[in-house]
Amino acid sequence: MSADAGRGGRAGAGPGVGEKVGRFELARAWLVDPASGREGPGEIVVADGILESVVWLEGDDAGDVTDHGVVVAPGLFDFHAHFREPGFEDAETIATGSAAAAHGGFTSVALMPNTSPPGDEPGVIERIHSAARASGSPVEILAYGAVSAGRAGEQLSAMGELADAGVLGYSDDGAPVRTAKLLRSALLYAGMLGLPVVEHAEDLELTAGAEANEGYVASVMGLAGWPTAAEVNAVSRDLAVLADALADEPRARLHLTHLSTAAALDLVRRAKAAGLPVTCDVTPHHLSLADEWVAGARRWAWEALDADGRARDPWADRALLAAPYDTSLRVNPPLRTPVDAAACLAALLDGTADAVATDHAPHTVVDKEVEFGRAATGISGIETALGVLLALVDAGKLPLGRAIAALTTGPAGLVAASPHTAGISAARPRGLMEGVAADLVVFDRSDRWRVTPDALLSKGKNSPFIGRELPGRVLLTIAAGRLAYEDPGIGDDAA
Amino acid sequence: MTTATTAPADTSQGVWRHRHIIDVDVVTWPEIELIMRTTDEMKGVLARPIRKVPALNGRRVTTLFYEASTRTRVSFETAARNLSADVVSISTATSSVTKGESLVDTVRTLEALGTEFLVMRHSVSGAPYLAAEIFGGHVLNGGDGWHAHPTQALLDLYTMRERLPGGDLRGRKVAIVGDVLHSRVARSNIWTLTAAGADLWLCGPATLLRGMDRWAAAWSGGAIPGHGRFNVTSDIEAALRDADVVMGLRIQRERMQGGLLPSLREYAARFQLNAERISLARPEAIVMHPGPMNEGVEISPDVAVSGRSVITDQVTNGVAVRMALLFLLAGAHEQAPSEAAR
Repeated sequence: MSADAGRGGRAGAGPGVGEKVGRFELARAWLVDPASGREGPGEIVVADGILESVVWLEGDDAGDVTDHGVVVAPGLFDFHAHFREPGFEDAETIATGSAAAAHGGFTSVALMPNTSPPGDEPGVIERIHSAARASGSPVEILAYGAVSAGRAGEQLSAMGELADAGVLGYSDDGAPVRTAKLLRSALLYAGMLGLPVVEHAEDLELTAGAEANEGYVASVMGLAGWPTAAEVNAVSRDLAVLADALADEPRARLHLTHLSTAAALDLVRRAKAAGLPVTCDVTPHHLSLADEWVAGARRWAWEALDADGRARDPWADRALLAAPYDTSLRVNPPLRTPVDAAACLAALLDGTADAVATDHAPHTVVDKEVEFGRAATGISGIETALGVLLALVDAGKLPLGRAIAALTTGPAGLVAASPHTAGISAARPRGLMEGVAADLVVFDRSDRWRVTPDALLSKGKNSPFIGRELPGRVLLTIAAGRLAYEDPGIGDDAA
Repeated sequence: MTTATTAPADTSQGVWRHRHIIDVDVVTWPEIELIMRTTDEMKGVLARPIRKVPALNGRRVTTLFYEASTRTRVSFETAARNLSADVVSISTATSSVTKGESLVDTVRTLEALGTEFLVMRHSVSGAPYLAAEIFGGHVLNGGDGWHAHPTQALLDLYTMRERLPGGDLRGRKVAIVGDVLHSRVARSNIWTLTAAGADLWLCGPATLLRGMDRWAAAWSGGAIPGHGRFNVTSDIEAALRDADVVMGLRIQRERMQGGLLPSLREYAARFQLNAERISLARPEAIVMHPGPMNEGVEISPDVAVSGRSVITDQVTNGVAVRMALLFLLAGAHEQAPSEAAR
């Protein structure tokens, strides 16, 4: 395979998915290396699955290469996804999820244990790893173990055995760790094992029956309000318990996933400033969409702010273009206000948020083609994450390097350095380093793609971006030296 | 032939362009005027010895109610029969819904059975939009969750215009009192009454007004084209003082279990529409209620049956308004592009 100044091309029959990439050359592209913080024009050569050379071009050699064309970056790492196997294979499998991940530019994915049976015992984790090997995809599949047995919030799961089976942390995601008491035990025990607890922060009593973010939109729409206080209350509890646990186990670590409100992010900002070992992530949809989408608005969250940073009124703006109550927008936590979305972005920019994680949550049509309040919560988002971040880049809201870092070095830095994680390649620095197995994504910022049910390789077609165009077509994803995804168009214009 | 069956939609006020009646938020003021005029004609039909016209002869209307209802359902069915439609009535207690059939499957089945007009009530906000997305005919919303009850708001408006001198709501003070938070009637009335230029006040205990302050604040600057501002208060005297129209909303017993009210007794003591409180309103003020009433809770029995009460007028006008809407929808062959998404 070789390519020059633009779209990749490949001579003759190349490798199939899962096969080692024999030779791939890309001249005159924009390289982004978040490990070194460097980006600029350059060229790469992959030979026999190894990233053989990375050459940075200077002066005349760089020619007219800009960061608006073909970009090479390290393979992306999704710190939070649901591939539904075992138990819900009609929504997603390890194989279809891996294909979707590669289409999204991801080469490592961490899966949540809210499966059936849940990942509370090592046998389930081994089954996931076995399914990943059987899939033929080179995408690295990592698993979280459950915090509690049966995710029931009463007793600890087989945490030590799960660590031995290679989990990268523990979570009862889909729900919070039920009690502060159990969370305290989990932080201590996981800390002893050198692993983090990943918490879905939600006060379930405040969100009982809730349908949409509490506020103007939900009031007009007659939807039961999902209050900000539900997230803030949970984060407050979790931080208090973490501070308490640290007295007994200094290795206790807490990661708060999919934070969605300005107030909760502010708590994390202050906790970090106070030195607490807490980290957090935000999702592409909470960065880019707001609750007004439930009413039918279809503008980016940053377009829904006025000059003073206040939310604009979609009714006053006559911005309601689509049918209301689209269940692809029903997600937990709910889409918040444009002000909250801006706070997610600010948190990403100032380092309060360590990573962007997709919370990829595929669902079947049966679970989504129902009344809004009865629809399953979740967005199928692993294939649109990069495009959404590139839309932020295009809008001048986020530097390209920060967007890539949020999907590479950001999550990689969250994987604890522990004997249990030594074999996890996601834990290694994600950069463009010569002499190691190639793990990278090539995408074209000058090319857009339309999100359609057919274009999504995930079984979950529950994307609010269906019918819309996103920037940054992924041309090639190479994971651990092997082909993970190749744009079908590449072979057509073989150089 | 009657006027009602032969008159085309009045093009001078804008052609009827809606395929469905799901909410009043997308209905313009000229369209509301058209509905009101058409309702006048239907009232003329109802005044005759034989209250039946052939406008919907052979057309099929199905009422699909996922929630209990007496007056709305009977009102729609009466309206459809008055227009000579064939009416099928489905309640969830006797249908496949009890076997777990989804709304989408039920609606597809009804369409395959020839239903052209689907009147539905559902406990989940937004459910009729889901039906409209897959249904080839016309959807009429008989109430969805807390969201909308468009025919109720239109019959309320019609009744107010009928009873107020001059038939004009502009500057008239309308107080809606009760469980505003859970009320689809209140939400739809916000749209129609702010469009009519009324001085609208929403009143109830703070727990049952939740979120409405944010809505009122958003509209306080007159930002919404075609709609004025409105007030939200827990001060019952301020809400009722000099009101031209007082509307009570039903208080449900479940609200105590939800921790929203200490007791019905306490609600009645502070917010019940009784003779003493109603005396704060204008002498000629009318009293309304969408029903069903909890007499002795949100409204005292004497007020409910007093000379001010137009509650039975609301019921009668409800039939006429629903006839008008079925009639207008039946003539809506062309779907305006702007309507496609709604």
